[in-house]
Amino acid sequence: MKKYLALLVVSALLFSVLIVGCGPGEEAVAEGQDLVIAMGAEPENLDPLKMMSAPAATVAEHVVENLIYLAEDGTLKPALAESWEPAEDGLSWFLKLRQGVSFHDGEPFNAEAVKYNLDRFMAKGDFEGGDAAVFAFLLGRVTEVEVVDEYTVQIHLDDIFAPIASHLSHSFIGMHSPASLEALAAGDYVEAPIGTGPFKYVSWDRGEQFYMEKNADYWGGAPTLDSVTFKFVPEAGSRVIMLETGEVHAIMAVPPTEIDRLEAEAGIDVVFQNSVRVIYIGYNLEDDLFKDVRVRQALNYAINKEAIIATIFQGVGEPSSAPIVPAIFGYTEAGPYEYDLEKAKDLLAQAGHADGFDMELFHPTGRYPQDATVIEAVQAMLADIGVNASLTTYDWGTYLDTVIVPPDQAEHDAYMLGWGTVTLDADYGLYALFHSSQWPPAGNNVSYYANDEVDALLDEARVTPDRTVREGLYRDAIDIVWNDAPWIFLHNEGQVNAVRSNVKGLIHHPLENLSAWDAYIQ
Amino acid sequence: MSKTECVISKLPTPQRDTELRQVWRHLRRNRLAMAGLAVLALFLLCAIFAPLLAPYDPIETNYDVALQGPSTENVLGADWLGRDVFSRILFGSRISLTIGLISVTIGMVIGVPIGAISAYYGGKLDLFVQRLIDILIAFPGILLAIMVVAVLGVGVENVMIAVGIASVPIYTRLVRGSVMAVKEQGYVAAAKSLGIRDARIILRHIMPNCLGPIIVQSTFQIATAILWAAGLGFLGLGAQPPDPEWGAMLSKGREYIRTAHHLTTYPGLAILFMVLGFNLLGDGLRDALDPRSRKY
Amino acid sequence: MYGYVIRRLLLAVPVLIGVSILVFAIIRFIPGDPARAIAGVHASTEYIEQVRKELLLDEGLHVQYYVYITNLLQGDLGRSTFTGRPVTVELFNRFPNTIVLSASAMLIATIVGLSAGIISATRRYSLFDNASMLGALVGVAAPVFWLGVMFQILFSVNLGWLPSGGMGTWKHLILPALTLGLATAALIARITRSSMLEVLRQDYITTARSKGLVERVVIYKHAFKNALIPVVTVMGLQFGTLLGGAVLVETVFSWPGIGRLMVDSILARDYPVVQGAVLLLAVFFVLINLVVDVIYAFLDPRISYGSREVD
Repeated sequence: MKKYLALLVVSALLFSVLIVGCGPGEEAVAEGQDLVIAMGAEPENLDPLKMMSAPAATVAEHVVENLIYLAEDGTLKPALAESWEPAEDGLSWFLKLRQGVSFHDGEPFNAEAVKYNLDRFMAKGDFEGGDAAVFAFLLGRVTEVEVVDEYTVQIHLDDIFAPIASHLSHSFIGMHSPASLEALAAGDYVEAPIGTGPFKYVSWDRGEQFYMEKNADYWGGAPTLDSVTFKFVPEAGSRVIMLETGEVHAIMAVPPTEIDRLEAEAGIDVVFQNSVRVIYIGYNLEDDLFKDVRVRQALNYAINKEAIIATIFQGVGEPSSAPIVPAIFGYTEAGPYEYDLEKAKDLLAQAGHADGFDMELFHPTGRYPQDATVIEAVQAMLADIGVNASLTTYDWGTYLDTVIVPPDQAEHDAYMLGWGTVTLDADYGLYALFHSSQWPPAGNNVSYYANDEVDALLDEARVTPDRTVREGLYRDAIDIVWNDAPWIFLHNEGQVNAVRSNVKGLIHHPLENLSAWDAYIQ
Repeated sequence: MSKTECVISKLPTPQRDTELRQVWRHLRRNRLAMAGLAVLALFLLCAIFAPLLAPYDPIETNYDVALQGPSTENVLGADWLGRDVFSRILFGSRISLTIGLISVTIGMVIGVPIGAISAYYGGKLDLFVQRLIDILIAFPGILLAIMVVAVLGVGVENVMIAVGIASVPIYTRLVRGSVMAVKEQGYVAAAKSLGIRDARIILRHIMPNCLGPIIVQSTFQIATAILWAAGLGFLGLGAQPPDPEWGAMLSKGREYIRTAHHLTTYPGLAILFMVLGFNLLGDGLRDALDPRSRKY
Repeated sequence: MYGYVIRRLLLAVPVLIGVSILVFAIIRFIPGDPARAIAGVHASTEYIEQVRKELLLDEGLHVQYYVYITNLLQGDLGRSTFTGRPVTVELFNRFPNTIVLSASAMLIATIVGLSAGIISATRRYSLFDNASMLGALVGVAAPVFWLGVMFQILFSVNLGWLPSGGMGTWKHLILPALTLGLATAALIARITRSSMLEVLRQDYITTARSKGLVERVVIYKHAFKNALIPVVTVMGLQFGTLLGGAVLVETVFSWPGIGRLMVDSILARDYPVVQGAVLLLAVFFVLINLVVDVIYAFLDPRISYGSREVD
């Protein structure tokens, strides 16, 4: 009997050691000024070289700042650069930097730091031969970054480039402490970002949360919040419950079916905000299936966008009427493709596909609101015209790596993606997606679209300073693209976030960022 | 064929049909087992006659009723695309039963011969096979299946293979044990001494004696296979849309637990009842086939 | 006794080697180029070449395995293609969470299962017996992920008592551990009951009773002790089921454990992490079985320590 007792005691001890020793850490409790936000997708990376999505931008911009900030009203505001002026010939820009700012590790912010970050981003200068950032095309016109004096940089361009200031405001071009980048081992990417922002990185538990504490020495004045935690909760239903139980203060991407209920609930505010993102299904145009424009248009007519918006999004959002959303400079109303099954069938028959065909359709799950549900509806709608789409999905990061590939590596016939024109200028929305120079791996023309006319129009718009003329060029380009139908145009996203009523000052940005530096808890 | 062989084959299994009848008699008296059998019969009928029984096409969408709860039109409600949940569950029983039966067949076809041969010949071969099985068993249950899916890719066919492979060691162990017990008995030695080929001895004289445990185990194993397959479907590694696989339906339905919990409740109940049916039948069969338990 | 433990340990070695070979084979079985699988889908051609050289993928399999096992023994499992961090770091961030979850589930299962089983056995055919055995039947048949969702609906959504997911306080642990432990509790209850009934029929119990010992003493001192043996075996075996179930439960409750990491990694085609997670779980399971065998040897004096066939 003693033997069992001993055994029991030992195992009990083991148990308690296990539980105490490995137990979950202290909770970041939602008391005082500690804000917790739940979001769906986790940043794939926080290294400017590897950042690719809005969730990464949302987290990063609290810690790492840009030279120029694009405010939610669409205006460019000084951030780490106090002013930006073009040279007389328009072939370079002078940036005056903010003085007396230091990185969280104490390193000074200056022109050298800017040069270091931009060169690394573009793989130029000291970084020649290394990997450029996935979004290096943002600075595709930049030939050199020159340090004029400690707080002035001159950015040289190979041609006039109207939207350069907007591009510098892109959240993926954040300023990291050069010392911290220097310290990275070969093959490593930034895990613990060190920037100049209102919050300092503390920890990033992959699959769980990102935790940051306030930067008391912030140049713009210390934030009221003591800390901000972004929790990664892929299941939308769980996010809602966490908000209702008070585990988190705010959630992003409220599931549409929950909107009515949450709005009726006391203590919770539902916030609607436009988005600059369009959601689409791109064809692989190198695929024989989609060489015929009639096939491409047929599929557009086969999708009932209204039903998707009404049923799946409970009316939030609208069918796409152009490859960019109305809020973008250069937008023209070209559509939508009205739902018309007969027309779709006719077009397919004309193209020799009266009995339809099979296709491989790749899509992300949990990245865009209701993405998997939308794709299921699309699958059912395509089946109505005999097009049998089999679905494949991957984790977000891998998904991007799987579909954004050169044509010879593409495994898909069509893919679902979204694109937010985060500079609010059509150049970013059209050039990157439809210019023939932007085929992967160089850029984001994932459909392998190539049209000389469109190329010429987009090129011209880039070097044309006159806004009215530019607008006309974009209108022509949009009309051509719309009729060429390199995508199935789906919808313009609407954002729905929900916040506990005692939280004030959160910024719900059209770029799909939720920003907390001005926030406080009542 | 020779006379001696007839005599021998009768030796191990006296009055095979009466034995079967006896098992049935015991089974029939077991109310739980009969309940299990009834549930399974019902599912089988649903699976076979799904197209006749289902009020709707399982992939037909109707956006007007999306996410509506049970009603006279949709007895178990409609899903996020307005598809009829009842019809989907009916068709889903086909998928689950198929996966259960095929994967267990795969496990049996591979596992049983390996176990039998290994035990019959013993020695180094047995030792080697044993170690191999030890290695497979080191991967707990569903993890082995997940691993196989990771290699083969997602999809129903691969799930069947994966779950089948994951059940191989169970059969091998089971058959090995039974054969070990039987092979030392007199009639096997007698058959050997008469120069009957090994394959024949295994097939004709040893295997019939292992049949009971194999049948019992297979009944439980189908239940496990269905649970694992549903689990893989739940994780997104199994059936892909628009297939009405129960695990996948349930997984997607989680998004709507606040407003439309019929999307998680009913597919789950379907899995529960099918698994319960096989488990009850398995319990009954075990009791009926185990002479020891018959006393009570 | 110690001899037995050491022998048992030694016997685990070939199994572990086999496990490492199987896990090593995962990436080689995947259709396509293993170098690309290890380097990640978006790796540059140069990096894929570098990986090919490092892992000697152009050499024979035995050479590759040698490199693999040497790296493994030095704790180098490669890098995640997703995060770029060492696989060992990823694993050990998550592993403790899985241990906490499965250990708590086992604790719940043991307490609930043993007590239900004992009470059922001593009050055979009572209402409690019937109810708990019915519950056990359902508990074994219910899909663990469905149970989890039902608990979420009941305890988080409707009653608002417990958080529905994530990790943090002890409250976060309750639902996942309960969900995960229930099937095991059901099984333990059933085994305990039948094992107790078996023992209670034995001669020595009759003897004990006839000696006039109090029923409680009979049950707890004599019967329970002997009935425990099959229960311990089942608990050992169940730990595997539990680890498997943890994959599902972690997904339901957003519990950042190793199972969820594995599933995420499969969906991300992050094969180095899949490999590492599978390896770690298998090794852990082998060790658990080892411990169970040793406990078993303690419990049952009839076992000859020389024999490996403990079942």
